[in-house]
Amino acid sequence: VKYMILTVASQQQYQQMVGQPSSDPAWTQEDWAALGAFMQAFNQELLDSGELVETRGLSAPVHARRVQFKEGAPVVTDGPYAEAEEVLAGYWVVDCQSFDRATEIASRLAGCPGPEHVRVRAYADVRPIDEHQPDFEG
Amino acid sequence: LTVPTAEVEGLLRSLAPQVLGAVVRRYGHFDLAEDATQEALLAASVRWPQDDLPDNPKAWLIAVASRRLTDLLRSEQARRRREEATIEWSLTERGTAQVDGRSLGDTDDTLVLLFMCCHPSLSAASQIALTLRAVGGLSAAEIARGLLGSEQTVTRRITRAKQSIRASGVPFALPAPEALAGRLQAVLRVLYLIFNEGYAATAGTMLVRAELADEAIRLVRALHAGLPDDSEVSGLLALMLLVHARHRARTAPDGSLVPMAEQDRSLWDRGLIDEGTALITDALPRGPTGPYQLQAAIAAVHDEAANAEVTDWPQIAALYGVLLRLGDNPVVGLNHAVAVSMVAGPRAGLELVQHLESDPRINADRRFHAVRAHLLEMDGDDAAALDAYRSAARAATNVQQQRYLNQQINRLQSRSGTRR
Repeated sequence: VKYMILTVASQQQYQQMVGQPSSDPAWTQEDWAALGAFMQAFNQELLDSGELVETRGLSAPVHARRVQFKEGAPVVTDGPYAEAEEVLAGYWVVDCQSFDRATEIASRLAGCPGPEHVRVRAYADVRPIDEHQPDFEG
Repeated sequence: LTVPTAEVEGLLRSLAPQVLGAVVRRYGHFDLAEDATQEALLAASVRWPQDDLPDNPKAWLIAVASRRLTDLLRSEQARRRREEATIEWSLTERGTAQVDGRSLGDTDDTLVLLFMCCHPSLSAASQIALTLRAVGGLSAAEIARGLLGSEQTVTRRITRAKQSIRASGVPFALPAPEALAGRLQAVLRVLYLIFNEGYAATAGTMLVRAELADEAIRLVRALHAGLPDDSEVSGLLALMLLVHARHRARTAPDGSLVPMAEQDRSLWDRGLIDEGTALITDALPRGPTGPYQLQAAIAAVHDEAANAEVTDWPQIAALYGVLLRLGDNPVVGLNHAVAVSMVAGPRAGLELVQHLESDPRINADRRFHAVRAHLLEMDGDDAAALDAYRSAARAATNVQQQRYLNQQINRLQSRSGTRR
């Protein structure tokens, strides 16, 4: 069964991550390197266990475009999010035994290093992927 | 007497494309032939380590794969007969591959397979996946890992590619002489893309994908062995070796990117540099001179310099000039501007960059702003450089690159004392 694990961040948090202070201080090179090492090990473990289907990180919300459909006509807005609004930042699709196992994987993200002010507020969501199941298979 | 598993694996890997090539050449049916070859390889990987190698491992594999293909064709035939009673299959009719009147040797089989996988009816993504699968012998999972995609997507892409090869009735043969040059271009591009894929730093995840770069080099080596006189094939192999030689110096221990000017050149691989330099030195005078040879020549000039200052910039600027005349590529234009500024000063470089300002292919790109910023700083115009670095940081989407650009911004800000 497949689950998606999602993490979020705001434009402000992205800016801190790439070295620009805003409401909170910027990430140091050590913070960033520790995150990279953690993610590499985390992904490698999921690859080795065969549970990783796909993982991606998204670029900062400021690069997003929104397409709205107003009476059938598409209207495009650049950078539709507020500075402090938390939006999807990255995801993992895992294929594993149970919801509990997917939750266990997501829980390990609690060990992800980062500045203290980021760590205390961070969270990840786990959501089952809606897939077609054959009618007569358990 | 037992054979070490690693030795068997290495042997199977080098024989795989030859066996697949031979089976497809004999019977056609690219898609089924691939399944049959996989099964033969699997059987060998289980039996050989126990039973010792057969006298002629390749002939053994071809025989087993052929038998398996016959079974597959029979069951396919039976299935089809059930589905549509009218369709008839014959192993000899459309199956026998054309050999173009000349006998193809072992290396040629690998080459023909490579040309087939890069058929123009396939998208670049399919060409890459199919080449890695059929010629490189990588599993769908390995390919998915290398391209950071899902295994299912890769499997589907390969299946569809095989179906469209089958539907188009592409004969298993080298393209006709008049089409050969064009197809070779497609093959070189696919191998170049595989190499770059292995080289690209991935946003956020930082998974090391050096395996793909190694695989691309292995495939170009095979191509070069089959076409030793083609100067662009030599050029591409030289380019890959000369760039790959620097890979250990490219990232700092903390994972950040190190620009070439600041790399520890003692970490560069001398063996690869020597091999690449010999290849390009031999290929250039032979001609005709193409873009891969020129890029290899530029890489060789960088690689032979003890540091950035003693680099032969006039030669690099001249080579970029020739490359620009071969094709109007704005990224080459930027590199040309940087090289010219090292020879004739930042003003001369900025003048060239100015010409690109109205080019929509590059004028909103991070690289355009970053090069302008670098040249403006060289020229002593810190305020304009700061603005350009900010534009570059806004345009960058990769976290690693953003961090690098923000470091430049912070450095300039603390120097001039100007704060936003």
